[in-house]
Amino acid sequence: MTEEILRVSDLSTRYFTQEGQVNAVSSLDLEIERGEVFGIVGESGSGKSVTARSVMDLIEPPGEITDGEIRYRNPDLVEAIADDHPNAIDGEFVKLLELPDDVRRSLRGTSFSMIFQDPESSFNPTLTVGEQLAEAVEVQRRASATPRSTRARTESAEYSLGSLLLSNVFPSRRYVSEESRDRAIELLELVGIPDPVERADEYPHEYSGGMLQRAMIAQALAGEPDVLIADEPTTALDVTIQAQILDLLDDLQRETGMTILLITHNLGVIARMCDRVGVMYAGEIVERGTLEDVFDEQIHPYTAGLLGSVPDLEGGATRRDADRRTADRLQPIPGNVPSLLDHEMDDRCQFADRCPKAMTACLEHPPEYPAGGSDAHRARCVLAEREYDEDAALSDGYFDESKRPVGDEHAEPAEPGTEPPEERPQQPAENTGGERQ
Amino acid sequence: MSMAKFLVRRLLQGIVVIWGVVTIMFGLRAVAPGDPANLMLAEGATQELVEQVRREEGLDEPVYVQYLDYVRELVTGDFGYSWQSNREVEAMVIERIPATIELTIAATIVALVIAIPLGVISATRRNEPADYGATMFSLLGISTPNFWLGLMLILVFGVWFGIPYPTFGLSWVSLASISVPFPSVGFYDFPTGRRPVGFGEAVRTLVRYGSVYDLLVWLKHIALPALTLGTYFTALITRLTRSGMVDELGKPYVTASQAKGLPSVLVRYKHVLRNTMIPVITVLGLQMGTLMGGAVITETVFNWPGLGLRLIDALGTRDWPLMQGIVVFIAIAFVTINIAVDAVYNYLDPRVSEQ
Repeated sequence: MTEEILRVSDLSTRYFTQEGQVNAVSSLDLEIERGEVFGIVGESGSGKSVTARSVMDLIEPPGEITDGEIRYRNPDLVEAIADDHPNAIDGEFVKLLELPDDVRRSLRGTSFSMIFQDPESSFNPTLTVGEQLAEAVEVQRRASATPRSTRARTESAEYSLGSLLLSNVFPSRRYVSEESRDRAIELLELVGIPDPVERADEYPHEYSGGMLQRAMIAQALAGEPDVLIADEPTTALDVTIQAQILDLLDDLQRETGMTILLITHNLGVIARMCDRVGVMYAGEIVERGTLEDVFDEQIHPYTAGLLGSVPDLEGGATRRDADRRTADRLQPIPGNVPSLLDHEMDDRCQFADRCPKAMTACLEHPPEYPAGGSDAHRARCVLAEREYDEDAALSDGYFDESKRPVGDEHAEPAEPGTEPPEERPQQPAENTGGERQ
Repeated sequence: MSMAKFLVRRLLQGIVVIWGVVTIMFGLRAVAPGDPANLMLAEGATQELVEQVRREEGLDEPVYVQYLDYVRELVTGDFGYSWQSNREVEAMVIERIPATIELTIAATIVALVIAIPLGVISATRRNEPADYGATMFSLLGISTPNFWLGLMLILVFGVWFGIPYPTFGLSWVSLASISVPFPSVGFYDFPTGRRPVGFGEAVRTLVRYGSVYDLLVWLKHIALPALTLGTYFTALITRLTRSGMVDELGKPYVTASQAKGLPSVLVRYKHVLRNTMIPVITVLGLQMGTLMGGAVITETVFNWPGLGLRLIDALGTRDWPLMQGIVVFIAIAFVTINIAVDAVYNYLDPRVSEQ
C-alpha cells in the first residue's frame, strides 16, 4: 500500500556568499511516502526551508544544489521523458536533478506545489486574488492537456513575450482562460471563503491574513499536485486562525489523499498533523521517526531540548530526562544555532557545543544510528548506541575556548574573551523565514 | 465613487498650487526693480506719457488692488497683453504650446523606449557585463548637462559630419545654414527646401495627401532636441527600473508565482515589471512637468520654437505679463499631469485608493 513518492538522498545545498560557503543543507536523506504527512521541525536557520526549496527547484544564486539526488516516483512522467532523457530515469522514479530546467520547471504546480509562510507578501498586491488563483489553474490545465508529452508540457509552460503583449489587445490571447477563472472561484469555495464570486475580484490587501492563507492553499491545490510542501503555513497567523488552517489542511489531505511535507518550528503543529517527523539541526536531520518515536522515545538531546521548550499546559513533564524540580518551567536550549559557514564548521556533531550530554565521542561526526521504537526511528547521536558517560563528558565551556584542532582536547585553552564574537552571516538571500520576522 | 472623490480632492489641491504660483509671480514682479511703465514705452518717452500708461495699466493703485485685479483677470481667463509686442499673452502662449508638448513627449518616448528595456536587462542580468554597461550609461546620462550635450550633438552632426542634419528647430535659422551662402535658406529644411511644420500639420499632410514627407522632416528636426532633453530622463528611468525590478524580484510573491509553475515570461513581465512601473510612472509624471520647464535650455540651444524659448525671450525684455502667462501655464500643466499620474497610479496599484 505505502510506496515512496519522494526520495531525497545525500542532498547538499550551499550558498556561496562573500563571507564564505554556507552549508544550508548537508547530505540530507529523506523518504516520503505517498499519502503521508511528513513533518520537518527545527529552529530558524536549520535548513528546513532550503530543503523545501531544493525539492521545488527554487534555489537561486548564490545558492546551489551541489550534491545528491531527488527521486520522484511518477510512472507517467517516466514514460514521457523516456526518449529524451533516459539517464534521468531510475525504475519508476525520475531523478529530478538530472532533468533539464524546463522539464523541471514544468513539474512546479502540477507535481509539487508550495504554501508559504507569509500569505500577505506571497500574493502579488496588484492583481486580484482570483486572477492569481486562475493562473495556477491555467498552469495545470495547459499541462494536463497533453500529460504524456514533455515537449507540450514544457512548451505550455512557456509563454512568449509576444503573446503577453498581444494579450493586451486581444483578450483571446490572454494566458488565463474563462474556465480557469471559474475553477478559481470553486477553489476559493473549497477552502471555505464566503462569497467566493465577489472575493475573487478583490485584491490581497482586502483579505485578512487567515483568508489569504486559505487562498494560498487553494492556489497550491489548483494544480492538483502530488506533493504539497507547506513551509511554515501557520507561523504568520494568530492562534485561532492557525487551528482553522490546520483543520483545513487536514480535511483536504484526508479527502484528496495527497502527500504533504510540512515544515514548521512548532511542535504543536507537528503533533497535530504529521505521521512521521524529521528533526533538523544545522542542515541535517538529526532524528527521525514516527510521531511516537520522536515525542516519547527521543534519543537526541536536541529533540529533547525542543520538546522542553514547549509549554506543557497539562502540567505533566514530558521530558524524560528533565530535572523534576524544573520540569514545570520552560527549558530553553542554551546557545544559538551554529554558524553554517563552511570554514567555521568542525567535523563533529553540530549540536555538541549546546548539548548537555556532549562527550568526547561527539567530536566526531556521528552517522545515523537505528534507535528504539519503530523501525523508522533513527538518530544522529552516539547516545543511540551507548549510555551517557559522565567520565567522557566534555568540560563546561569546552567550546567557548578558542578554536583548536578537532579532537585535541588537551591543547592549552586560550585566554577567555580573545575569540571574536561570532556572528551569523546575514545575506538577504539566505535569511530564513524565521529571521525575516 | 471613491475615484471621483479622489479626483475632486486632487483638483482642489491643484487649484491651491496654481494660486500659489500666481501669487509668487506677482510678488516677484512687485519687488522687481524698474517701473513697468518705462519698460512698456520706448526710451525717452515723456513723463506725461509714463503717467498716462501708469494710470491705464492701474500701476498707480496700491499693490493689493493690483493683485486682486490681476487674480480677477486670470480667473476670467484674461492674461493681459505682452508689453513688448502688445499681443494677447494667451495667444502667444497657446501658439507655442504644441512645439513644447511635442518635444516633451518625444523626449519621454525616447527615454521610455531606451530606459525600460535597458533597466529590465540590467535587473535580470545583474552583475553581468550588460548590467555594468547600463549602469555606466546611466551615470553618464545623469551627469551630462543638457546644454552641453545639445551643443555637442550640434557640433558632431551639424559641423563635423557637415550634414545639414536636424540640428535646429522648426522654421528657424539653422546652424547648418550658416555655412550656406544664402541665409534665407535657413528658414527651410535643407536640402529639401521645405518649411518644417509641427507634428499636427505633418499628420494632416499625411492624411490629406498621403505624403509622409512632412512627418519625416519633423522627425529629423525633433530627433536631436528630443535626445538631448531625454538623456537625463533615460538615465534616471533606467536606474529606477533596475532598482525597482531587483527589489520586486526579491519579494516572496515572485517565489510563490514560480512555485505555482507560472511561465517565467509572465512572472517577469505580468507580475514584476508591472509592479516596478508603479514608482516609475510617478517619477515619469513628475518629470514630465519638470521636462516642460526644463525644455527651456534645450529649446534655447536648438532654437526650438516652444514655450521655453518664449520664456527666455520674455525674461530678456522683462515682459512680465508674458512671463506670468507662461509660468502659470506651466504650473497648470504640471498640476494636470500630476492628477493624471495619480489616476494611473490608482489603476496600477489598488492599494492607493484606499488611503
